[in-house]
Amino acid sequence: MAEVNPTPGQKSSRIQISDGALIPEQGEKTILSAWNISFFGAVALLIILPAITPDPYLKIIQFIPDGVLHTFEVTLASICFALVFGLIAGLGRISRNVVINRVATIYVEVVRGIPLLVQLFYIYYALGKFIQVPRFLSAVIAMSFCYGAYLAEIFRAGIQSIPKGQMEAALAIGLSRGQAIRMVILPQTIRVILPPIGNEFIALLKDSSLVSILAVADLLRRGREYASTSFMYFESYTVVALVYLVLTLFFSRLVALMEKRLQRRRRETRGDSGAPVRAAS
Amino acid sequence: MNRVTVKKATKYFGRVKALENVSMEVKKGEVVLIIGPSGSGKSTLLRSINRLERLTSGEVWLDEEQLTHHQSDIRRIREEIGMVFQNFNLFPHLTAMSNITLGPVHVKGMKREEADTIAVDLLARVGLSEKAESYPDELSGGQQQRVAIARALAMSPKVMLFDEPTSALDPEMIKEVLDVMLGLAKEGMTMLVVSHEMGFARAAADRVVFMDQGEIVEVGTPEELFASPSEERTKRFLENIL
Repeated sequence: MAEVNPTPGQKSSRIQISDGALIPEQGEKTILSAWNISFFGAVALLIILPAITPDPYLKIIQFIPDGVLHTFEVTLASICFALVFGLIAGLGRISRNVVINRVATIYVEVVRGIPLLVQLFYIYYALGKFIQVPRFLSAVIAMSFCYGAYLAEIFRAGIQSIPKGQMEAALAIGLSRGQAIRMVILPQTIRVILPPIGNEFIALLKDSSLVSILAVADLLRRGREYASTSFMYFESYTVVALVYLVLTLFFSRLVALMEKRLQRRRRETRGDSGAPVRAAS
Repeated sequence: MNRVTVKKATKYFGRVKALENVSMEVKKGEVVLIIGPSGSGKSTLLRSINRLERLTSGEVWLDEEQLTHHQSDIRRIREEIGMVFQNFNLFPHLTAMSNITLGPVHVKGMKREEADTIAVDLLARVGLSEKAESYPDELSGGQQQRVAIARALAMSPKVMLFDEPTSALDPEMIKEVLDVMLGLAKEGMTMLVVSHEMGFARAAADRVVFMDQGEIVEVGTPEELFASPSEERTKRFLENIL
């Protein structure tokens, strides 16, 4: 899990292992960096393989693009709803209202304790007993519900990383708690939580392959369809894996760049090289 | 007329006693300095005056309004109480100007142009006109604290609370902040100041309150209290800091 460093400005001595991120280490700038080798290697394979053996590779590559489209649709829709769930639940987690706080905490605990695959089955098949939700919608609901819980923890940690004095100063000039959170706390939180949210986005992109079990025609599903009609399992899944790799590596680089820009802007406004908030590793 | 009245204020943090039966009155236009060893409850007293701390028992009044009453509209009362913190607590994502206008615009519902005019005046008053568009990160500690004072003044408060306003500052910046405070005192602002700045006390304070272990031990004019304290505890404390 990506975690937010609770004390910005201080070096964290914690070891953080995140499952979603392939964010390149800073300083890895040589041409033969791990990221360059993996990314351009995958791209090269996706070009070379069809060039050398158009049958079946070219056919596979022509077959899967609308799968990629579905993967993107599921991912984007899910992350949007997950951000909404996450923000609400994250605010609930820091609410002083006991009921709201407890509900939000239970949501986070329960959802994080159930595997995403089980949640997908549950919403589509188990709840199908009462209400039949369309496949795509089931997939988006399950993914955003699940990721909302993880994002809630990022929001909570981000908000709590803002010094207590900020809230006090906001209250002291007469702002209500809601105004203080909206105008003072959240704007400062965004900068801290953008990188870990980027990580979650990448993790979600990968986990979106799970929705293929609901027969949503995503990238993995399209690969499987091709494989099961042509019996070319090795070739089909090789292409699927390479496409996923290119996508996640591309987005991880994007997140890394965004993180760097945030740090640079921070350093510029501070006029020093103060320890940057390294929120994701 | 009493601007601020504290009646039998008692505050416990769990089992730790922070304030015990503290009563005091501050008249309109009066400047009161609160001194005492760390942990004596002086910051707690100040913070309970705008209810950043809730008293365990006792009352706090601002003019005719009791703000410790559970039905009192604390948000509205806080508009009338300015507070300056030890660590400035400026909002780092806003410019000096926006730090000052946030309250007037969003609490008082003032038009932006009107709030801007006020902010420009206040920045000039604290000597920071050219820093209007600077972010807190770009300002020195003394400058940040002066912006913080301007931010509090922008709400045109009836009383200003200063919680150790100079103790986080480098020595060369203390004077610029104290000068602003002195100016305020001369203009007749009602002020409660937790501070050990004896020079400021002599120049501006009408009364000095010495607190120890959550109680008010002694009250007097700066001359009386510093020159001839009557309590043993006051004497010992003053020997240590003077």
